Amino acid sequence: MSDRSNQRGRCLNSGHRLNGTPRALSRRTLLRGAGAALSLPLLDAMLPAMTATANTAANPTKLRRLGYVYMPMGFNPKEWIPANDTLDTVPSSLSSLEQVKQQVTVITGLDLQNAYPGSHATSNAAFLSAARAKRTESSDYFLGTTVDQIAARKIGLHTQLPSLELSMDLLTTVGQCDNGYACVYQNNLAWSSPTTPLPSEAHPRIVFESLFGEGGSIADRRQAIERRASLLDSVTQEMKRLAKDLGANDRNRLNEYFESIREVERRIQLAEANVDENPLPDLDRPVGVPASYAEHAQLMFDLQLLAFQGDITRVVSFQLAREASTRTYPEIGVPEPHHPTTHHGGNPEKMAKIAKINQFHVSLFAEFLAKMAATEEAGGTLLDHSLYLYGSGMGDPDAHDHTNLPILVAGGAAGKMRGGRHLVFDKPTPLANLHLTLLNKVGVPLDSFADSDGEVQELFEAV
Amino acid sequence: MTTFAPPSHRIVRTTGIALGVIRIAIGLIGISAVGLVAAAADSTKLMSTTELNSFVNQYCVDCHRGDQAEASFDLAAFDASLADAAAQRWDTAHWELILKRLVSRQMPPVDADRPSEGEYDRAIEYLSWALDENSTRFPDPGNVETIRRLTRAEYQNSIRDLLHVDVDVTAWLPADESSHGFDNITVGTLSPTLLNRYITAAENISRIAMGGRQRSPGGTTIRIPADRTQEKHVEGLPLGTRGGAVVHEHFAQTGEYDLQLRLARDRDEKVEGLHEPTTIDVLVDRKRVHRFSVKAPRNEAEHSGIDSHLIVRLPISAGPHEIGVTFPNESSSLLEQRRQPFDAAYNRHRHPRRTPAVFEVSIAGPFDPQGPGETPSRRAIFGDDDFDGVDETEAARRILRRLARLAYRRPIDDADLLTPMKFFAASSEAEGLEAGIEAALASILVNPNFLLRIERDAEGIKPGKVHAVGEIDLASRLSYFLWSSQPDAVLLDLAEAGKLRMPGVLEDQVRRMLEDERSQSLVTNFAAQWLYLRNLDSVTPDLRLFPDFDDNLRQAFRRETELLFGEVMRNDLSVLTLLQCDHTYLNDRLATHYEIPHVQGSHFRRVALDPSTHRGGILRHGSILTVTSYATRTSPTIRGNWILHNVLGTPPPPPPPNVPALGDKADFEKMTVRERLAVHRSNPACASCHDLIDPVGFALDNFDALGRWRELDDGLAIDVSGNLPDGQPLAGVDDLESSLLKRPEMFVGTMVEKLMTFALGRGMTPADGPAIRRVVRHAATNEYRFSSLINAIVMSEPFQMRVSGNPGSSP
Repeated sequence: MSDRSNQRGRCLNSGHRLNGTPRALSRRTLLRGAGAALSLPLLDAMLPAMTATANTAANPTKLRRLGYVYMPMGFNPKEWIPANDTLDTVPSSLSSLEQVKQQVTVITGLDLQNAYPGSHATSNAAFLSAARAKRTESSDYFLGTTVDQIAARKIGLHTQLPSLELSMDLLTTVGQCDNGYACVYQNNLAWSSPTTPLPSEAHPRIVFESLFGEGGSIADRRQAIERRASLLDSVTQEMKRLAKDLGANDRNRLNEYFESIREVERRIQLAEANVDENPLPDLDRPVGVPASYAEHAQLMFDLQLLAFQGDITRVVSFQLAREASTRTYPEIGVPEPHHPTTHHGGNPEKMAKIAKINQFHVSLFAEFLAKMAATEEAGGTLLDHSLYLYGSGMGDPDAHDHTNLPILVAGGAAGKMRGGRHLVFDKPTPLANLHLTLLNKVGVPLDSFADSDGEVQELFEAV
Repeated sequence: MTTFAPPSHRIVRTTGIALGVIRIAIGLIGISAVGLVAAAADSTKLMSTTELNSFVNQYCVDCHRGDQAEASFDLAAFDASLADAAAQRWDTAHWELILKRLVSRQMPPVDADRPSEGEYDRAIEYLSWALDENSTRFPDPGNVETIRRLTRAEYQNSIRDLLHVDVDVTAWLPADESSHGFDNITVGTLSPTLLNRYITAAENISRIAMGGRQRSPGGTTIRIPADRTQEKHVEGLPLGTRGGAVVHEHFAQTGEYDLQLRLARDRDEKVEGLHEPTTIDVLVDRKRVHRFSVKAPRNEAEHSGIDSHLIVRLPISAGPHEIGVTFPNESSSLLEQRRQPFDAAYNRHRHPRRTPAVFEVSIAGPFDPQGPGETPSRRAIFGDDDFDGVDETEAARRILRRLARLAYRRPIDDADLLTPMKFFAASSEAEGLEAGIEAALASILVNPNFLLRIERDAEGIKPGKVHAVGEIDLASRLSYFLWSSQPDAVLLDLAEAGKLRMPGVLEDQVRRMLEDERSQSLVTNFAAQWLYLRNLDSVTPDLRLFPDFDDNLRQAFRRETELLFGEVMRNDLSVLTLLQCDHTYLNDRLATHYEIPHVQGSHFRRVALDPSTHRGGILRHGSILTVTSYATRTSPTIRGNWILHNVLGTPPPPPPPNVPALGDKADFEKMTVRERLAVHRSNPACASCHDLIDPVGFALDNFDALGRWRELDDGLAIDVSGNLPDGQPLAGVDDLESSLLKRPEMFVGTMVEKLMTFALGRGMTPADGPAIRRVVRHAATNEYRFSSLINAIVMSEPFQMRVSGNPGSSP
């Protein structure tokens, strides 16, 4: 513990790339922008030599990861949309991308028809599903399987976690979800089936533990895994007993439960298989949640990077804030709550504040991209082998509009993503087209997805 | 205490006997006893169906007709004679909506041709009678889902009651999503993530409860909220101290534990408020066990290590303990200030701390563990059985049978014991009896029979049949309603013996359960969601505009409302006390905020109020006024909406999809909120709802965004004129309260709807209308006492009955 406190407040530098076989990485080489003071005990003892899984990845030179970052409540297009089809000069909201812009493409003109009639709930719900949310506040909610989950079934098959669902809002609130829609629509980005929203996690410690377990020696960890496996076995047995008892009426529900059990089983088996090759040190877990929004978000991005680096997962979704969030951002000069500000009515001051919030959110993403680009792995960098989609399910928030969405695609050099550009669709084009393109690119072949009517071929160099 | 005379009410016809009738009906369920209720109403004095038809024709159909019907509510085909055809079941949704709009006087709208009060009453009387009739003939208790997962709060409480161990399960389990205002509605799914977490939680909880060994010393760190002011005495710590915190921690084993403190720093990493040497006391169960001294840093460099020696190793026995850390008061002399101090002090730039503060408390251990000791949880596990001469396996079987019965909330058969006993056998063979019980316990805590609440249909019943919920399941309905936890042995004994529905038993049990401490969940779980107290944690008023806000105030807000709700419940007062009352609960922090003098000290106490304080009912509570405001200003819209949803029970329809544009609003910023909202309402698409919402909220505008009383806003006089949805003019909060109390059945009906939603874990539908009104009528004859609402809900058809077969498909 005294160790931990001694670490506090040190400035960490980043910048040099890691070479060769991944060894236990020091956080100081990796995770911080220069000069950023950091009090994150998480990162003290943190990086295990995550050799095995990273190196045994089927084909390390290919694209193999997908990430999605959700930014709530749309944008101020004037401060976002580049003037021409390059990113040579970008408006203020995107200015932080400077360092990584050769690996970023801005896309303008995508829409989500299935998010209409316009609302906050459907913005979030349709973002990764492109599906129409059934209007209900009861447990008969129905959406669609989201792209991250479709990807997870294929490219997440051999990682310990098929996907990782992250968010920033720790506190539950009541009465703040769109009238008529169950809160699951507004809060959950990822749905593994039309009826199964996946809970996301905002607490860094819990994310950390789901990635790395609770530490200990190899023998300890093997024992811990075995205990979990036998407890899970008992769940299977007892669930079967229950199923016999319950009969046909609740079969669907029970089948979902059995699917969950099998999934956990798979995760435990993978953890068991990797236990010898992943000698985790006795880890210090993150203590609490950083008080500042930026530090919290940075930590959540760091965890994504760690998860990729250890090949613990290949699919991530991350919600930067909930739709209709009334979070304030006094640290960037926006002490007013976000949601009412977005009902700007064309007011220039409010528009300027929306641009500031956009800029702030994008800057956190940009910082993450830079770290990904600075982290080497076999055949390139983490960013080269990852595709990230960043954006919102809302365009103009004043009207709850779902056309002309703010969308960025980043990374993907290994798949010949053509960065540094601004792609404009003259007529509204389904966001589902982009989803489909990204899925196909990371090796999840599909002919169509939701309301897609084509692909965004322009994003990549012709094969 | 304020008491209320039973109000005059107009729709009460079956008062006094309603509950009795329900009871009889339940007693005779299966023999079609429902006809009994029909006899209770005297239909001879009612309006005729012809009259009702012409009422609807005269007052409704003008606007509600055909494709262009207002709110797409077409009444052209409305026919009151449906109700005459007694044998016929008809769709009551339209009828319920008409009734609701008439009772609230929302329809016909204020500017239209409106019925006289007498006509209103006659129509309401008839509609209620007809709807009640129909529901008695064709009972529809609605569908409670067969399988429902415990919510996080229910899990936490069930663990507490099963194992007598208070652990914070939020460390393991994710929050539940809410619907219809509560988080126990959409609880059908069991995602892999959740299942994984349940396993982690089960392992940890069973180890903590048994006092099992950890592989290596563990640790927890508790951070004090950064915006907590620590300049004054903290409740639960000795007098003569200031600041610090009390931490409740369960220690699994007796042994030595390291306790380490860190002091709060500003953003330049300097320890705040440390201008002179200071001391810090460490207390275990209110006894001082250690005193630290801290030097004042002489230069900037000394700040970083100035608190690194604040670590002490303490012997602590197994079980729950209260760890306190605090600063003894050095001197009582007043600090001189150049300007009036803010009430808050935690931010260097706005209002710096004048004295040091605790940032976090870490507890690590045990070092040199001495065993599990004698703890409440071990007593709960091992029970009072005499195991003399009993072999280990048999002892384990007895222990596990008793625990499994409570955990699964039903009788246990031998098959239920196979799994726990298998775990016991495997672990006890390798590591002994204790480890065996711990492993078996973990298997009980991941068992679907524990994690899922399952309601079974009566044996051999055909699908789609309305029937009484089995007593075992009824016991769980009761306990998860009143305790948000599992039934205790008393309740299970009664249910298993089939005695729960014997005369008087349910009433006795409800009384016992409400008196029990566990019913505090109605405050912390039900009321916290109903009244949005949960949102307080995420409230962060703008620091520049509201420099006096801190976590101390946030917590005080919550306590005030919880204490008033708790008083209504514990003293069985009229629930109308929540709306109007001549006292409240304050500590010095909150009293300062409200500018009420003579309240000293950190503890909360009941304070009689003078009207000039502007305090009293919940509409004047800082908690509610703050959670319905934005970070920078009040929002009449949010406040109005809150009242429509949670007090009047007439929620406005959802906002139109695709927010309409408001046109040129260049001058918007120069306008007051009232003027801006008026522009907004000048658009007919917005006005249809905001005409109902905003004017209610205006009545509360004398309270600022932190609930402080104000006469001016930005130098302009506050205009609190508004009106209720029925057109009644309001000139501020006094008017609002008295108007609400004129029709108490609206507020009480809303509270009943909320309670029933929470009790049943499903949204209310039009078919529940008659049951809700019966509860309200019963409560009306009992001065709206808290217990009368609860009793009548417990006796109601939706609570007592279920429909066999597939949830979701109506019979």
